[in-house]
Amino acid sequence: MESKFKVNTEGKWYDNVDLAWRMNEYDEFAVEQAVQVKDQVGEADVTVLSIGIDKVKETMKKALAMGCDRGVHVNDDASYAKDPFEIASIIAAFARDKGFDLIFTGMQSQDRGSAQVGVLVAEMLGLPSVSTIVDFAFDNGQITAKRELEGGLRAIIKTQAPALLTCQLGLNTPRYPTLPNIMKAKKKELLTLEVATLLQDGARQETVKMYVPEKKGGGLVLEGDVGAIADQLVQILKEKTGVLA
Amino acid sequence: MEFTREIYWNLGKGAGTLIPMYASACIAIAVLAWGFLQRVKVYRQAQPLNRTDNLGERIAGLVKAVLLQTKVLAVRGPGIAHALFFWGFFCLFIGTCLVALQADFTDLFFGVKFLKGPFYLLFSIVLDLAGLVAMVMLAGLFVRRYLVRPDGLESKVDDAVMHGLLFAILLTGFFIEGARMAVTELGTPLALWSPVGLMVAKAVASLGEASLRNLHLGLWWLHLVLVVGFIMLIPFTKFRHIFTTSANYLFADQGPRGNLVTLDLEDEAAETFGVAEIAEFTWKDVFDADACTLCKRCQDRCPAYATDKPLSPMKVVAQIGELAFEKPEANLIATVSKDALWACTTCRACQEICPAAIEHVNKIVDMRRNLVLMAGEFPGEEVTVAADNIEVNGNPFGLGYATRGDWAEALGVKPLAEDPEVDILYFVGCYASFDKRNIKIATSFIKLCQAAGVKVGILGKEEKCCGDPVRKLGNEYLYQAQAAENIELMKRYNVKKVVTTCPHCFNTLAKDYRDLDFALEVEHYTVFLEQLVTRGALKLSASSFDCTYHDSCYLGRYNDLYEQPRALLHVAGGKLIEMSKHERESFCCGAGGGRILAEENLGERIANKRVGMADATGTGLLVSSCPFCLTMFEDGIKGLEKDESLVAKDITEILVERLS
Repeated sequence: MESKFKVNTEGKWYDNVDLAWRMNEYDEFAVEQAVQVKDQVGEADVTVLSIGIDKVKETMKKALAMGCDRGVHVNDDASYAKDPFEIASIIAAFARDKGFDLIFTGMQSQDRGSAQVGVLVAEMLGLPSVSTIVDFAFDNGQITAKRELEGGLRAIIKTQAPALLTCQLGLNTPRYPTLPNIMKAKKKELLTLEVATLLQDGARQETVKMYVPEKKGGGLVLEGDVGAIADQLVQILKEKTGVLA
Repeated sequence: MEFTREIYWNLGKGAGTLIPMYASACIAIAVLAWGFLQRVKVYRQAQPLNRTDNLGERIAGLVKAVLLQTKVLAVRGPGIAHALFFWGFFCLFIGTCLVALQADFTDLFFGVKFLKGPFYLLFSIVLDLAGLVAMVMLAGLFVRRYLVRPDGLESKVDDAVMHGLLFAILLTGFFIEGARMAVTELGTPLALWSPVGLMVAKAVASLGEASLRNLHLGLWWLHLVLVVGFIMLIPFTKFRHIFTTSANYLFADQGPRGNLVTLDLEDEAAETFGVAEIAEFTWKDVFDADACTLCKRCQDRCPAYATDKPLSPMKVVAQIGELAFEKPEANLIATVSKDALWACTTCRACQEICPAAIEHVNKIVDMRRNLVLMAGEFPGEEVTVAADNIEVNGNPFGLGYATRGDWAEALGVKPLAEDPEVDILYFVGCYASFDKRNIKIATSFIKLCQAAGVKVGILGKEEKCCGDPVRKLGNEYLYQAQAAENIELMKRYNVKKVVTTCPHCFNTLAKDYRDLDFALEVEHYTVFLEQLVTRGALKLSASSFDCTYHDSCYLGRYNDLYEQPRALLHVAGGKLIEMSKHERESFCCGAGGGRILAEENLGERIANKRVGMADATGTGLLVSSCPFCLTMFEDGIKGLEKDESLVAKDITEILVERLS
């Protein structure tokens, strides 16, 4: 991801040119958790949903190779311009009549990082939501999740399915797809829906501008002989600070 | 008098001698054949593989390796002892055959005797000395095995039986000869043509003829029993190597050297990939275990074994044999252990030295393939991340693919997408593209090319990892995906010739890509630059320096490129002081086999060991020609705090300082 990130000509989002596409890291934990629940209970059907341009289908193949049963691609060339409320309402519109027992989302996206979509979806569907989970157990509808809190504290939350959970990094170890599963994934159902069929609600917010902040000062790395560096450092501290005064 | 001897002297040439002798010989051979048939059934559990193509070449290889003992002799001490023993015993075998041929065939049916006159004298002295040489060598090997006891040499019941039986056969042979000579030849000039027999004859002569005849008769039958026992034991003891190791020369891999099977990933019928049990190996992999003599030469050279990691190539081969014969359905990977499998650097030192032509590396990669492709397992989390990075950005670092060619901008080198009219395509590789230390190799190489008037292009952001590290780790799928993109690109740009600075890229493009319909000329920079120097296009002003040179595995053992790097150092004014482990015997830096992507958590760091060897040369300069090696050595030098006494450099860096 450490590519040359540039702001696009609109000035509102990243320029896609020369960027490699991959699954949002938080979502990898969500996919893994869903597949683990399936492995645990046996009779389960996991749907993976992604909103975006045609290219996201390639990324979804990985989720299918990891063990999801079917994929739903919501085709939207302008998904980047949608606010978290719109994204959530698209997902909620799809999920409303599907009767999912569990919905896992990433805690946030790596690009926008609003951390709103998961909880908004839960709200729209009238489901309990647990955010930032780092551990998850499922027993016959009973959910026990561990949340990560400030200062390294943990909280244990219990709730009942159906529920939505947003996944923090480290929740599990996302599996590396096996070759037979990669092959199987190629044949799995990958439904494409046009965004217009799901989007009923308008945006609640607008990105006005995205920009690279101005550089304010910078670090200085001293190199060379230890003695010389020490002298240099003392000199700088004397000239520019008051610590040696 | 005519020089000859009476065959079946003291025994009589009647049915009383011949019937028991030939009957027991037939039984022995029948047991031998039956024993091997049982083993063939075990080989047949595994997959088919054609190893009888190019039969002429194969037979020539077999004859050379067996009769000249070329592979055995690659290690001096025990190799010479084995070869001399073999030649001695082989002469005795031929001698015995000649005796049988004359006595029971040419003489019996046609009245023709050829063991007479000068030929008999030659026959006599050769066999006598052959017996002596065989006995002395056997004694020497006995001393080595049981008294000197070299590290790692395991002695089992088989070894004791073999030593005892062979010694008894030779000893009884001499006493039979001595007893006969004491009665028939003492005092004749003929006796001098059997010096050892004569010595024995003199020692036993005082027994008197009657006792000597009894002794002779008894020993003759004992000798026969011992030989029959020897033949029968062949398939059931390590004696089997007489046949299996020889046959392995016939079935040997004919290259390209270090080639792995390119898996058909589109094969719809394939349910499993890689190897997790015996039946998934080829018969040759099982046969290899039978050809192994546990000589431990591989283990002695294995960098993983030498640094206390749980891998011994010898043990892996032995474990495959044990499972094949005892528990074929058992899980191979659990038996060998994942830690052992992941420890391999695919340096090929084992395979290069193996006197039995065993193929170790492909077995390990086959099992790794099962771990990666069937279970999604890697040696560590960091490797999973690196593989993922290669998949997304085409490099293990996870750096944006678009920055891959940034290092070249200031040098005026353009991607082929901008300017495809070039003399050579420089396939840069991940380390020289992204790693700060290794970018110096790339920039130096470009400066050298520019000085020689060679126009170089790169693929820039379109280049992907060649796939070597992931392939050697077992991820054939990711390798083929990377390879396909690279190949498609190079074809599209009509590239004429590719030069790499990384031996891993070189080996992969030059050999592995051949299976994927890629046939361009590929060279490592040491070969390319050496030609430029020879042609006079690249002019260097030599200035003298001392150094030691590390042969990268993928340049040396995989491709026999030992001379060009040394020639370049020589031209630059380098005085080379070799480490004791160099060229074919070079000790891996620890980065091969995808280990460059993995943390080294078990045992001593391989790179540290190699850096120690380089430091001991006292030259202060460790030169290599591989970005992986350089990376490992820089780490090793820091890790051992040898910054004061040792510097690691690539050949390009040395040459660029000497551009005239």
